[in-house]
Amino acid sequence: MKITSARISQYLFLAVFFYLFINTEYRGKDEISFAINSFFRVDPLVVLSFILSKKTLIALLIPGILMLIFSIFLGRFFCGWICPLGTIIDLTTDKLKKSIPIKFLKTNLKYYLLFTLLFAALFNVNLVGILDPIAILIRALIFFLYPLFGYSIRVSWAGLYSIIGENRDYIGSLYSFLRDYILPFRETFYPLAFISFMLLIAILFLERYEKRNWCKNLCPLGALLGLLSRFSLFKRLPAKLCSDCKACKEICPTAFDEEILQTKDCILCMECTLKCKFNRVKFSLTGTGKNKKTKAPFLERRVFIGGLVSGFFVSRAFSFTSPSQYERLLRPPGVTDEKEFLKKCVRCGECIKVCLKSALYPAFFQTGLYGMFMPHMITRLGYCEYNCNLCGQVCPTGAIPNLPLEQKKKSIIGLAAVDKNHCLPYAKKINCIVCEEHCPIPEKAIKLESVVERDYRGKKIILKKPYVVEELCNGCGICEYMCPLEGKAAIEVFSKRKRDQALRS
Amino acid sequence: MKRREFLKFALSSLLLGGMSKSIFAKEPPVVSVTEGKDYAAITRNVIAALGGMQRFVKQGHVVVVKPNIGWDRRPEYAATTHPLVVRAIVEECIKAGAKKVKVFDNPCNDPRRTYVNSGILEALKGLRNVELKHTENERFKNTKMNGVFLKEWPLYDEALSADVFINVPVAKHHGLTRLTLGLKNIMGIMGGSRGYIHRSIDDALIDVNTVVKSHLVIIDATRILLDHGPQGGNLRDAKILNRVIASTDIVAADAYATTLFNLHPQDISTTVTAYKRGMGEINLNKIRIIKV
Repeated sequence: MKITSARISQYLFLAVFFYLFINTEYRGKDEISFAINSFFRVDPLVVLSFILSKKTLIALLIPGILMLIFSIFLGRFFCGWICPLGTIIDLTTDKLKKSIPIKFLKTNLKYYLLFTLLFAALFNVNLVGILDPIAILIRALIFFLYPLFGYSIRVSWAGLYSIIGENRDYIGSLYSFLRDYILPFRETFYPLAFISFMLLIAILFLERYEKRNWCKNLCPLGALLGLLSRFSLFKRLPAKLCSDCKACKEICPTAFDEEILQTKDCILCMECTLKCKFNRVKFSLTGTGKNKKTKAPFLERRVFIGGLVSGFFVSRAFSFTSPSQYERLLRPPGVTDEKEFLKKCVRCGECIKVCLKSALYPAFFQTGLYGMFMPHMITRLGYCEYNCNLCGQVCPTGAIPNLPLEQKKKSIIGLAAVDKNHCLPYAKKINCIVCEEHCPIPEKAIKLESVVERDYRGKKIILKKPYVVEELCNGCGICEYMCPLEGKAAIEVFSKRKRDQALRS
Repeated sequence: MKRREFLKFALSSLLLGGMSKSIFAKEPPVVSVTEGKDYAAITRNVIAALGGMQRFVKQGHVVVVKPNIGWDRRPEYAATTHPLVVRAIVEECIKAGAKKVKVFDNPCNDPRRTYVNSGILEALKGLRNVELKHTENERFKNTKMNGVFLKEWPLYDEALSADVFINVPVAKHHGLTRLTLGLKNIMGIMGGSRGYIHRSIDDALIDVNTVVKSHLVIIDATRILLDHGPQGGNLRDAKILNRVIASTDIVAADAYATTLFNLHPQDISTTVTAYKRGMGEINLNKIRIIKV
C-alpha cells in the first residue's frame, strides 16, 4: 500500500508527541530536557497571541516565528504534517460515515473566533489556550485520559495483590518499569477533567458531518495558517477539479468544497497526488498569481471589526472576581503578577502534570471565567516540593518563570497562618509539631515556642506552639498538606498579593 | 504435715527463684561502636562485632532493611541514612545467604526524589536480589496492635512478613522527641495519617516497635544532625562523627547514640518509655559497649 510522505510525517510527529508527553514528568532527574512544551513553542497561534498580549517577543518562542514564516511560503503544512490533533482525527474517524456539512459552520465563524481571541489578547487577556488545538488535546490527556490510564493499571495491580498477595512480586519488575517510564507516578483526578475530555470528543464528533470539520471550520490555528497561506508559493496543480474526473472532491479532506481548490484550507496532505489516476496532480513552487480569485475573508471589514469588538467585549465581560476568591489564590512558584500571568499562560496544563506532589489544579471560576484552565495551587491537596522547579521548566511561554532552584526556593507563593482555634497545642493543649517538622526552610519558617501550661487534669505540660516567621515562609504549603487534623487544616496558606493587585481595574 | 510441706515448697521455690536470677542472670545487652572514614568498612565491622550478619540472617531469609529516606536531602545534610552504610548492610545480608533484601521507607517528601537525592538509589543499583521499593498503598495492612495508644494501625506488609527486620536510622535532632533514632525510625512502616500519633508519640512508637521488632539496629552516626531536625537542610547543623552503632537491643542502641549529642538517655522520653515498657536496657552501665 502506498502512503504519502505527509502521513509518515504525521505518524512520526504523533510518536514524538507521545514520547514528549510521557517525558513531561519527573523521571529521576532534576531537569526535563525535552518536554511537550516544544509543540507550543512552534505553535504560531500561541506565539502571535503572546506577542499581542505581552507586546514583546521572547527567545523561547522564536521557533514559532519560524513556523509562521514557513507557513507563509508553504501553506498549512502544519495541519497536514505535524498537528497531533489532526493526526488523531484522521486515525480515529477515518471510517466514520459523513452526513452533510453543518451550514452554520460554513460561515466566517472561524475568523470571528480567531480575531476575537487575538484582539482579546491585545487587550491583555490571552484566551488562545482555551481553543488552541494542541492545548485542547494535551488537556484532555493530562486531566483525564492519562490519569485514567494510570489509574486502571494501578487498580488492576492493587487488585492483583488482593488475589495473589506477595506472589505479585514475581512480576514486580514489569510494573516498576511501567511506573518508572510510562505511567504517571500517582494519578490525580482533576477538576474540569470532564470538560477537557468533552472538548476533544466534540471535535471528534464533528467528523460525522465532514472530514476534518474542526480543522476546516473552527480551529483558530487553522484559520490563522489559512490566512497566511494566501501568500504561499507552494501550489497544487491543477488548481481546480478536472472536468473529466472530479475524484479529488471525495479524496480531499479539506480544500475542495468548490470547484476551485481553496488554498486557505489545503493542508498539503498529498492524498490527491497519491490517488490521482491520471498522475496529473503536482505540488510545485510556481510563484504567485495562480489563484487570486479566492477572496480573503479577513479583508472583509465585517469580520475584522466584529473580531475587534467581540475581543474587547470578551476581555472585559468576565473580569469580575470576588475578592474572597483571591485570598487563597496561589499561583505556581515564581508567578508574582497576576496580570502578567493572564497574558502569558497557554492553559496547557503541563505544570499541573509535572507537579511532583499534585499541588496544582486547573482553575474554573476562581479568577473569573477567563482564568479557566489556568493553574492554581490547592495546598490541602498537595504542596510545592522544595527542591523541585519542574513547572517553570516545562512552561512553554515562561508564564511560570524557569527559575534556578535556589531562586525558586525563595520565591513567595503565599504565607502560612496558624489557626489557633484549631491547632492542637493552642486549642486542645496537645503537642503536635507536624508542620514545623515538615517545613523545608533550613532555618524553619515555622518555629516552636515552648510554654509550660497545665492540662485539663491540672498536670504541668510543656506545649510546643507553632508560629510562622513571615520573612522565611515561602508558602510552599507542606504544613497545610501535612496538618494531621481531620477536615480543616489548622495552618493554611493565604495569598500574599497586595490588595490593589488583587482587584482588577 | 501439710503446713510443713507447704513451707518447704514455698521456701524452695523462693530460693530457686532467687537463685535462678543470680545464676542465669541475663547477659547484658551489647552495643558495638565503630569509628572510621571508610563507612562501608566500619559498618561491616560493627556487624562483625555483634557476631556477624550470619547470626541474624540465615540461608533463604527475606530481609527488610529500613533506612531513613524520609527527606529530599543529600547525604551530607544528615537527614537520611548514608548510602554507603545502607549498601554495606545490604551486601552483608546477601553474603549471609539472604534470598532477598528489600529496602524501603515511607518518605515525607516525594518518594522518587528522596530515593534519588539520598544517594541510596544509586548506591543499590545493580545489586542482585536487592530491591529498593516504593511503598504501595494496598500493602499497608490494618494491624491489630492493642497497644497503649494505638489499638490498630495500617502497617506495611513486607515489614510484617520479613524474616529479619534491620532498622537503620540516622541519628538526628527532632522537634518533638528531641532525637530520632531507632525507635522513631519505625514510623517508616506506618501508613495512614502518621502525624496523628504525635499527640502521644512515645507510647505510639513503642506500640509499633512491639509489633514489629527490630532484629538488628544499626544507627548511622557517620554524621549526625544537631538542630532543625528531622530534615535539616543546613550544613552547619550536620556534624561529622564517622561512627556507626549496632545492637540487637533497640533501647540500648538508642541510649548509647543519645550520648553522641551530649545528652543523657533519660532526656529522651521515647527511650525512657521503651525502657519502662520492658523493651530494652537504658542504663549505660548495664550495657556492654564494644568499641572496635
